[in-house]
Amino acid sequence: MKTDELEPGRLPATVDELVPQLEATWHQEPTFLGWLRSVDHKSIATRYIATAFVFFLLAGLEAAAMRAQLSRPENRILGPDAYNQFFTMHGTTMMFLFAVPIMQAVGLYLVPLMIGARNVAFPKLNAYGYWVYLFGGVFLYVMFFLNTGPDAGWFAYVPLSGPAFSPGKRVDVWAQAITFTEIAALVASVELIVTTFKNRAPGMTLNRMPLFVWAMLVQSFMVLFAMPWVATASQFLAMDRLVGTHFFNPVEGGDALLWQHLFWFFGHPEVYIIFIPALGMVSAIVTTFTGRQVLGYSAMVLSMIATGVLGFGLWVHHMFATGLPQMGESFFTASSLMIAIPSGIQIFCWLATIWAGRPRLTVPFLFVAGFVVLFIIGGFTGVMIASVPFDQVVHDTYFIVAHFHYVLIGGAVFPLFGAFYYWFPKITGRQLSERLGRWNFWLFFLGMNVTFFPMHLLGFEGMPRRVYTYLPETGWGDLNLLASAGATMIAFSVLLFLVNVVRALRSGIPAGNDPWGGDTLEWAASSPPRPYNFPIIPVVDGQGPLWRHPVELPGVAGLRTDVREVLVTTLLDAEPDSRHRHPPPTIWPLLAAIGTTILFVTLIFTPWGVVIGMPLLFLAFLGWAWPRGRDHREQVAIEQEVRPAEARP
Amino acid sequence: MTGMRIVGNVTHLPTTTFGHRTSMWWGTLGYVVIEGSTLLICAVAYVYFRKNFQTWPPERVFRPGLTAAAVQAAIMLLSNWPMVLVDRAARRLDLRAVQRGMVLITVLSIAMCVLRGFEFQALNVRWDSNAYGSAAWAVLTTHAILLLLQTVETIVFTLLLFSPNLEQRDLSAASDNALYWYFMTGSWIPLAAVVFLMPYLV
Repeated sequence: MKTDELEPGRLPATVDELVPQLEATWHQEPTFLGWLRSVDHKSIATRYIATAFVFFLLAGLEAAAMRAQLSRPENRILGPDAYNQFFTMHGTTMMFLFAVPIMQAVGLYLVPLMIGARNVAFPKLNAYGYWVYLFGGVFLYVMFFLNTGPDAGWFAYVPLSGPAFSPGKRVDVWAQAITFTEIAALVASVELIVTTFKNRAPGMTLNRMPLFVWAMLVQSFMVLFAMPWVATASQFLAMDRLVGTHFFNPVEGGDALLWQHLFWFFGHPEVYIIFIPALGMVSAIVTTFTGRQVLGYSAMVLSMIATGVLGFGLWVHHMFATGLPQMGESFFTASSLMIAIPSGIQIFCWLATIWAGRPRLTVPFLFVAGFVVLFIIGGFTGVMIASVPFDQVVHDTYFIVAHFHYVLIGGAVFPLFGAFYYWFPKITGRQLSERLGRWNFWLFFLGMNVTFFPMHLLGFEGMPRRVYTYLPETGWGDLNLLASAGATMIAFSVLLFLVNVVRALRSGIPAGNDPWGGDTLEWAASSPPRPYNFPIIPVVDGQGPLWRHPVELPGVAGLRTDVREVLVTTLLDAEPDSRHRHPPPTIWPLLAAIGTTILFVTLIFTPWGVVIGMPLLFLAFLGWAWPRGRDHREQVAIEQEVRPAEARP
Repeated sequence: MTGMRIVGNVTHLPTTTFGHRTSMWWGTLGYVVIEGSTLLICAVAYVYFRKNFQTWPPERVFRPGLTAAAVQAAIMLLSNWPMVLVDRAARRLDLRAVQRGMVLITVLSIAMCVLRGFEFQALNVRWDSNAYGSAAWAVLTTHAILLLLQTVETIVFTLLLFSPNLEQRDLSAASDNALYWYFMTGSWIPLAAVVFLMPYLV
């Protein structure tokens, strides 16, 4: 390969001159091995999204089984033991294997494209994060199919989950599966933060970043500060169970409430970790389909940051029934009410944008409209249960189940489906059917309300959560049957979505680069984007670069095309600062993830897991990091050509 | 693809930079936040358990010995001096000085690992005796894992410095490694104060 293609100072006459060599350099082998070795953010993110969606379907099937069981009193489809495993697996899967990963995966796909980068900051680490996530999820489900699925609830409260009341390996499986997913989530958050900080297109100052990128940045910081709490807490739990520590054993000075504090210090921000990316998706969709920038950019950004900060001050409202001091509870009531303010500001900004713009009622926009309605209902019940006396009445009843499903499905899943319809053409190059999409939306919207609205009433009537059945005399049968009928509608709507996806992949209308008339940089790339994203790095001079330059986008050339070189820019003003070479495809992230898996899984059964797993992991990381081969030769060639910059003070 | 036109040239930009100009420095900072949180949580658990006992340490448990912890804290603090020199040498691409400094750091980190063994002994409590012991062991073990991983990485990195496979960007990595070292050694001082001094004070 020629290395003198682009001598310093010499520029190609046209962008097209660069394309053949970029294609060759960033090429991903179309073989299975090539797929395993890929370090392309789009390839990794696409499989991340697909995997998370499979987990969504599995958790949905678990929900369907539970709704079938509860559809009438004294039903016998699921026994108590199976039911415990089903609701634990449903919650664990939805939170740890679907909601957080899929939001981060969408971010890993779109953020580099939206900021005009060629890849994420650490491509090998990105691949490692995905493999760890996959193996953690597969491990959890293999154990579930072996009748060793966790059964102590998705939050695994002690003492129920402790060694005395949960003998066997079920809770250990939960604790270790959590560790897998936390590693993956933390890796993705560091990727997204550093990519956003250091790889933005020249000119994309912080106040020109798309709102979706802001949302992913805020979410990534929340992951960074929240996930270590559950990862550490679950290790404390594992150690109580495996090596006899007493973190949660009150007899030896431990404390069951410590678990709840540690868990909810993660668990409440978790809700916003899921919800904030959805806000970014809503803003992107509202912008495109109203034909104008979202009103109040600064208010939107500050609201997301405020939500991110306040989200860490609410955790005790999950513990109002534990008898904490009233003064403390009052503080958390106040903060729980206060977080409605930034959410309200954003809702009003979107409504004002829709009011002032010319909305096009496409399927993505319908899902956003559905989001506004459902999220407001979920938000209202949230304000209600922020009040301690009210919470004491409905605690652990179906009212809570109704509330958080409105928030999570309305607040996150609806925008996510809107995002699927919106960005599907970019990812696959094909359009989804609008007609099937409308059926998908209306069935989902009605099904969601038919399923979860009756649960508010069931909660008022006193039906507790996590019971596998109830007596006919309670009178809860009719509302439960109605809820189960609603669940069937949701199942049909998701089935329609799958049909839509399969049809689009086989014979969908080709999308073109910018089928919706979007304003952000990803719509300048081809659909699907080439492995290098853009032939030259775009230059940004304001918000919505594609609306500012509808014909020709300005960009900078001069990055090498014979190796995978990317542009590093400064944090605040995104001024070009250095060129950085990215690694070619490699198998080592996969091998390191296999080493990690062997370590974690053997540790459940024996402390000797450390002795077996650590050397494997060490060898894998040595293979990953030790400079040699093509990677090394490329780097040395560059370093011999270019003098390093002196470090600035 | 929407059309693109070239308006600028970045060929003149450097390929090796240091400190916050590099992505790796920010990545390292991310891991400092993650691991710092983990250490903080262990310390929080330790302090949280205080209310569950009449005395601290609990009855029938001796206070921890201070000698190993004091020597360890002193070595960790002092090790930052050669690390600052390594950082500066790396930034002026002085390979010899980086090599010398990293050999010294390797020796120091192995000494720290040995001392950590004595620190465990000096706790005078087992992890399965009571919650006090569990939390004290958690703080020490979590930091020990960071220390052990850092020691292994230091050994491998020092070997690389003497190998023909060395790349210029590895000197930038040496500088980022210094950031992590400041965190690893610096975090130990408050943690040691919590685990070794709190039993004498409350």
